Parts: sequence; structure tokens; C-alpha cells
Amino acid sequence: MNALGRISIRGRLTLLYVALLSLVLVLYAAGASAFLLRNLREQLDHRLNEDVETIEGLLALDSNGHIQLMTENLDEDARDLRPHFLEVWSATGSVLYRSPQLGERDLGTPPTQAANPGRIGQRSVQLADGTCVRIVGRRHSIDGTPVRIRLGLSEEPLWREFWQMVSALAIGLPIGLLLIGGAGYAVARRALQPLDSMAKRAEEITAERLGERLPIGNPDDELGHLARVFNETLGRLERSFEQLRRFTADASHELRTPLTAIRSVGEVSLQKTGDAEYYRDIVGSMLEEANRLTRLVDSLLTMSRADAGRIPLQYTEFPLLDLAKEAAGVIEILAEEKNQSMIIEGDHRVVVRGDRLILRQALINLLDNAVKYSPEGGRVEIRVGSDASEAFVDVRDSGPGIPLEHRSRVFDRFYRVDKSRSRGEGGAGLGLSISEWAVHAHGGRVELDCDHGPGCTFRIRIPIGQDANRKIGERVL
Amino acid sequence: MRILVIEDEPKVGKALQEGLQAEDYDVKLAPTGEEGFFLASSQPFDLIVLDILLPGRDGIEVLSTLRKTGMRIPVLMLTAKDAIEDRVAGLDAGADDYLVKPFAFAELSARIRALLRRGKPESPAPVRIDTLEMDLVARTVSRDGQRVDVTAREFDLLEFLVRNKGRVVSREMLAREVWKETSRATPIDNVIDVHVARLRRKVDDQFKRKLVHTVRGVGFTIREEE
Repeated sequence: MNALGRISIRGRLTLLYVALLSLVLVLYAAGASAFLLRNLREQLDHRLNEDVETIEGLLALDSNGHIQLMTENLDEDARDLRPHFLEVWSATGSVLYRSPQLGERDLGTPPTQAANPGRIGQRSVQLADGTCVRIVGRRHSIDGTPVRIRLGLSEEPLWREFWQMVSALAIGLPIGLLLIGGAGYAVARRALQPLDSMAKRAEEITAERLGERLPIGNPDDELGHLARVFNETLGRLERSFEQLRRFTADASHELRTPLTAIRSVGEVSLQKTGDAEYYRDIVGSMLEEANRLTRLVDSLLTMSRADAGRIPLQYTEFPLLDLAKEAAGVIEILAEEKNQSMIIEGDHRVVVRGDRLILRQALINLLDNAVKYSPEGGRVEIRVGSDASEAFVDVRDSGPGIPLEHRSRVFDRFYRVDKSRSRGEGGAGLGLSISEWAVHAHGGRVELDCDHGPGCTFRIRIPIGQDANRKIGERVL
Repeated sequence: MRILVIEDEPKVGKALQEGLQAEDYDVKLAPTGEEGFFLASSQPFDLIVLDILLPGRDGIEVLSTLRKTGMRIPVLMLTAKDAIEDRVAGLDAGADDYLVKPFAFAELSARIRALLRRGKPESPAPVRIDTLEMDLVARTVSRDGQRVDVTAREFDLLEFLVRNKGRVVSREMLAREVWKETSRATPIDNVIDVHVARLRRKVDDQFKRKLVHTVRGVGFTIREEE
């Protein structure tokens, strides 16, 4: 099996059907030969039987009382009888007549069992000199004397014909098999040739050229199916490569900004001379940027660990409203600073099962955003509720809303709706993607609704009940 | 108090040494795991600050070997890898606490104090700074004998500052200790800033001697002005 495993598929296919075909052909040839042999024997026997009857008529006693075969007056036809071997035995077992063709050959003693008169018995005998002879025995009486006639005919022509046939088959069969094998190999090669070209194309597709696709010959056959599946995989790969590329580019851009600040602040301060207070200020300013870098790196790490599924969730059950109040309690002060009102309402009976800290983080991010984007004196509403299978928290701001073209991308990493917002104010653009991850990790989702009323509503949905356990189980697995 | 710092990055090592010396610790710096191991097993120390990623013998190996020789002194581990497995590996090897790089020096200093204090009764917090008084039981604050109304959060914030009187506390420490926010990725710096500003308005604004100070780029501190 191992040796077979090293052969190519088309080699294996060819071998397999050549083997099957030879088996069938050999069986067929054997059957045909056996059939032929039987037919030839039957013909021979038929002829012997006819001849034995002719010979019975030709046997007579001569003047000396010896048995003679009267062939003198026979026509051409009957002279054919001459190659026959003929013996006539007396009932007592002595030879009464031997045809001259027999010469020294011994047909052997006839079977002794009494056969019925007229009954023909046939058998094949191999003589001492190797000749195969078909013998017919028969009881008869000549002028009242019972005798046994044995007529033999060489089987040589029969075997010659048989072996001719066998050798024709033996030569023809391998040639045929060879031809069929070759043709099969060519067919297999042709059938598998698209695979080869697919493999070649696939080899050419590298990380830099993920845009390439395999040609799909016939979309309905197996190869077309394979090509399609492969292309879909390539598509996914291309998307994730693209995501990774964008993420890396964005991340390095975000990292570069505070680094530039640190560098320029430091360089400029060294060109001046100032008092201790001045330098303290400079160092402080550099530290602020370092803190920003730290936080950015922390967010990136959180995200990469989340992507790798390496943040284990600590499940507890708690009322969602409590969590909302807790998160609001943290952010509330920012709303107060902007004279915004923060309103929380909802059903205290809505209980979810999840990682409280992670969900709290998700909610804090949403609330922080809502306060940030609502105007002075605006309002931020938080509503907790549930339907049949899901608990939800709505965070509604009174901001300007999100333009349609940005809506699908607000959860993307580093994506900022308002590019002009400073990084200090707008953050790194990771908050929403972290929130989304946190909710996804609980089998839920975050929805954005900007179509109803001024401002936007972010809705966190988390499955509850058995549904929740199932979905969470899926995520963990 | 003698502290051994095992840290291969020269800048970080030197900064730690100088910073801790400024806090009146006797500090020895070892730039490699081998040297650190040699010093730790030949001289008495009260605490070891150990970097995990060291050239040659790494921190975990040094630590577990030290623990096998029966060394009981507290070890604070520094790690650049913010991964649970590394923390678990460190704590398994016998570390008493860990700190993820990059960290604020104030944080390191607080952790060291906590480790050195471990097992000893907590020194009573100073409840009086200048004319500011805190009643930790009744949870009230007064300045110059005048009652100051503070919210619960402001009280916790002030208490944390007062407990760390004269030392700088970072926003990260405040987020963790006062807001119980464990994830460094949650942005509540602006929340903290607003609370500090309000607290300052209440306890400092009307008074000549200011107590709460912002240390730019680091955090906040409460101290009596000389």
C-alpha cells in the first residue's frame, strides 16, 4: 500500500483498471478456450462415431478366417479412414486385427467391463510416444463371432487448433492490455490535467498576489467545485491579509503620532535653556505621550489576545441594569461636565450570564462615546430590556448622528468618523471594536440605529437562557 | 532596606536604581540572571525585583532555583508579556507579585512597599494633612475645621491620595484601586481627571496652601507645602 501510495493518482488509476481488465480478459479467454476444446472434442467424437459405423460394415473374414478391412473398393471418401488406428479384439481378449497405421503403438488393453452391444464408450489416451489419441470402443459381431472394435484417432490436430487459439489469445491479450493501459493513462492524465494546472496556478499565488483566482472550467463538475472552494478560501485569506495590512498600517500610524510628539518636544527643549520648571514641564509632556503609547499598546494587546481567543471569560449572573448603573456611575461625571443629563431606565429582572468586567468595559466605551458625541446640555439615555431570547442595553446619544457611509465601519479598528477630531479627544478609535469583541465573546452583537430620531442608538444584545449557554458554548469551542 | 534589581536593560535598570535610592532603599543592580543569582545567594536582601526576559538564564529559571534553595524573601516580577500564561508561570515559580511593562514608577514603588509591609499591621493612615482632616469611620472631610461635602468616590480618591501622602500615584493606580477598573484598555483617565479637579475645588480652592498637586505626565500627589 505504501509503495502504491508513492505512485501518482493517474498511475494508480491506470494500474487499477488494467488489473481489473486483465482479470476479466483472462477469465474470458479461459472460458473461451475451454468452450473451444469441448467443441473440438465433440466434433472429433462425432466423426469417430460415424467412422466406427463405416468400419463395422467394412470388416469381414477372409478365406483364412482372419479379419480384414475391406478397403480396396472404397471411394476417395472412405480412404480418409486410413489414418485411423483400428484394433479388433476377440471376446477372450486376444487381438484379431491391428491396422497397419498402428505400427508398434499400443492402445492399451480395453476396459474389461462388459459394455452393452452397440454402446459406444469414448476416452482419451496418451500413448507411449506422446501422441494423444481419442478412442472409441464398441461391441460387434462378425459372421456371428463377437468382437470388440477399438477405433482411435490422433488428437493432434485438435490440440494444434486449440493451442493456436490459446497462443493467439496469449499474444493478443497483453498487447490489448498494453494499449488499453496506455489509453487509460492518457485518459486519466487528461482528466487530471486541470488539477495540475490548478496546482501550478495556486503555486503562483503568494501573499503579494492574493487577488489571483483559479479558472473555473465547468462549475458543476468536481474540479469546478474544487476550484470554487479554493477561490473562496483565497478570498477569505485575501480579506484577512488586507485586514492585517490595514491594521498594521493604522497601528504604526497611531504609534508614530505620540512618538513624533515625544521626539520633537525633547529635541526642541534641548535647543533652549530653561529653568527647572521648564524642564519638568517638558518631561511631563513627554510622559503624557508615553502614557498614550502605553494605553495604545495595551489596547492592541487586548485586541490581539481577544483575536487569538486567549481572554478567558469569568461567568457570573447579574442583573443587566446593575451593570448599566455601574458603568453610568463611572462615566456620569463626564456628562455632568457637559451639562448633559444621563438617564437610566429598565427592567431590573433582566439577568444575564457573562463576564461582568468585560461587559462593563464594553458599556463604558459606548457611554464614553455617547457623552463625547452629544452636545453640551444634551442627553444620554440608557435603557435595559429583554425580549424572548435576548437581553439588551440601548445607549442613545443626542449627537449629530453618523453619516450613512460611516455606519458600516464604525466598529472597525482605528476607524474615526470625524478624522479631524484630535486623538486626545477621539481616542485611538479602538473603543467600539473592543466593545464589539466583548459582546461577540458573549454570543451577542452590537447594533447601530441612526434612523430613529436625532442621535444614534447603540444596542448591545446578549442571548439569555438556554440559548445563551448554547451560543456561549459555541464561542468557547 | 536592601533591594536587588535584576534587569538587563541598562536604562530601565539605572532608572529603577536611582528611583528606589531616592526612596531611601539600598539598591544593588544586576544586569544578568547569573549575576543576580550570585548576588541573591551570597548577600542578604529584603526584596528582589526580577525581570522575566533576561539574556542567558531567564527570570523564571533564576527564581525557581532561588526558591529551591529555600529563599523566602518577596520577589516582584517584571514582565513585558501581558499574557496570563506568563503570569501564571511567574507566580508558579514563586513570585509574590508581578508588574507588566511599561509600568509607572509610582506603581512599582507602591507594590514594593506593599510587599515589604506584608504580614505587618498596616500603619494607620495619616488622617490629617495640614488643615485637612479625614474621619475614616464617619467618612467625613473637613478643611480648616470647616466640613467639606464630598461624594463617596471623592472620599475614596482622597483617602487613597492621603494613604500615599508625599508620593505620586498614577492614574492607572487610581483606576485600579478606586474605580476597580482592572483593564488598562478602558479609558477612564478623563473621568479621573474630572474627579480630581472637583475634589481640588472643594478642598483647595478657597485655601492659600494647596494640598493636591498634579505631576504632569505621572499622576497626582497630596503633600503639605513647605
